[in-house]
Amino acid sequence: MSLSPPQIGPSSTGHTGSQVSPSRLRKATLWDTLLANGSVVSIALFFIVVCVVFSVITDAFLTAPNLLNIVRQCAPLLIVAAAMTFVITTGGIDLSVGSVLALVATLSATALQAGLPWPLVIVLMLLLGAAIGAIHGFFIAYERIPAFIVTLAGLSVIRGLALLITGGYSIPVDPSSFFTVIGRSWFLGVPVPALIALAVLVLAYVVFNETPFGRYVTGIGANAEAVRRAGIDTRFTTLFVYVLSSSAAALAGIIVTARLGSGSSNAGQGFELEVIAAVVLGGTSLFGGRGTVIGTVLGALTVAVIANGLILAHMSPFLTPIVTGTIILIAVWLNFRLFRGAARGR
Amino acid sequence: MTDGETYRVRMTGISKRYNPIQTLDNVALTLKRGEVLGLVGDNGAGKSTLSKVLSGAVIPDSGTIEIDGKAVSFSSPADARAAHVEMVYQDLSLCDTVDVAGNLFLGREPRRHILGVPFLDKKTMHGLTREMLDRLGIVIADTRLKVENLSGGQRQSIAIGRAASFEPKVLIMDEPTAALAVAEVEAVLELIRTVSARGVSVILITHRLQDLFLVCDRIQVMYEGRNVAERLIGETSIEEVVNLIVGRKFSARSARHGNETGVSA
Repeated sequence: MSLSPPQIGPSSTGHTGSQVSPSRLRKATLWDTLLANGSVVSIALFFIVVCVVFSVITDAFLTAPNLLNIVRQCAPLLIVAAAMTFVITTGGIDLSVGSVLALVATLSATALQAGLPWPLVIVLMLLLGAAIGAIHGFFIAYERIPAFIVTLAGLSVIRGLALLITGGYSIPVDPSSFFTVIGRSWFLGVPVPALIALAVLVLAYVVFNETPFGRYVTGIGANAEAVRRAGIDTRFTTLFVYVLSSSAAALAGIIVTARLGSGSSNAGQGFELEVIAAVVLGGTSLFGGRGTVIGTVLGALTVAVIANGLILAHMSPFLTPIVTGTIILIAVWLNFRLFRGAARGR
Repeated sequence: MTDGETYRVRMTGISKRYNPIQTLDNVALTLKRGEVLGLVGDNGAGKSTLSKVLSGAVIPDSGTIEIDGKAVSFSSPADARAAHVEMVYQDLSLCDTVDVAGNLFLGREPRRHILGVPFLDKKTMHGLTREMLDRLGIVIADTRLKVENLSGGQRQSIAIGRAASFEPKVLIMDEPTAALAVAEVEAVLELIRTVSARGVSVILITHRLQDLFLVCDRIQVMYEGRNVAERLIGETSIEEVVNLIVGRKFSARSARHGNETGVSA
């Protein structure tokens, strides 16, 4: 059984089974680690730069109330972006999250108005989100229709349902209902939506990095066929990521409704693009196989900080999409250029 | 099982027809424990189809397969895998953005359960990977490296190591050394020797004839869907194998290819 040095024919090169001499072998250094996580490093740098700039040019930015306000406002974005990281890492996309948010907003307001108890409403809304995700996932994973098309159809149909239910009007939620606590109240000095977002992010991080499911999500994005041959049910795994994204969108819809105190069928217009922007800004590859939850968190926070900071700096809020879009392009460009050595191909 | 009487693999009378083309015509193949068999032939000779029959990917029209003396019939690759026949797919079996350990253990990761939720046991996984790599003589500095950062030879080694770790009886490799650098070919060949020394029977399909003479015990030559020759490695030469692979073609069409016969002679 022992491995003897190869005594082979005339074409032996003298190497003993290795292709590199030992002196050239080394463990990954800190720099390698940085390069390998280049996308996270670059968005972290952007985030810091943006925060420093707004801290310097405005007095109000770097204050506890304002920072808590930012996390409260971007809680829905953080929650859905965390789930979207799974979807995009498999190489898919979910364009329907904004519409799901709107449908849940209108339906939860309607249900509360009809007198349903709030815990039941929450459970029903999360189940609705999961069901919508399962329908998307079925067509994507089992019927092999591109995710872009399936969720684009979903975007249209679900928004249409929300409009049909409300007739285009907002439905108020009784401000005395305990339901509004989810969006408005504070706990231990932190807004409840921010706490919910934190819980979701920690959960997403652990699932993504520490469980077989998270590993298969990355694997499917890298080489679905290899994962399938390893005996894993890739179709169900793919279906499940859409269940995650739609459920997260439903949770975001509940939070938005509770915070605003009304359910509007126009809620979450363009939300899906904001979510995708945050995920891509965080270094997750739209081609799949490459994604981090940390990067997504930083991406979402960067988008939120820019929107907040521009307002505090008394600049036109219409600058927000311009600045955000420019930063997305530059960040992704830097990823391609600066950190190309770390990530071959793609 | 110390005698040579029971073959690890015995395929007899295998035939497969794809409409007008008789891809395999009454082909036989035998393989002993720990033996490395080189399967050669020109493109279209049927070596890939024959290996797919053994790995369950192709169902033959007729013929029998015996493994350790027991007749088996494979209707899917899963059946073949259950009978401990593994096939190394060249680039189809690795996830580029997953690390070395993750690829070796894809689908059977060591797990620890916390409150019934399965978590990856990364420490055990990397430890086992290190052991496995050392045992097979695969040189990779860090099991946390992503596979995309490895050389072609290292990637091939991981693919073979992964297949070998399923405790196969038979390992089929289709062109494992194609497109590798010279030193990397050496490493992969060394790995094949190591695997076969552990008692695994290997079928090596390759166009690189010099490789055959470095690792194979025996060579089987196929031509247009038939066995044309079998040679023990000590009793043949590269010239003879070349002749066997192309020879008939030349004799049949000697008029048109007369100038080329000189090359192979």
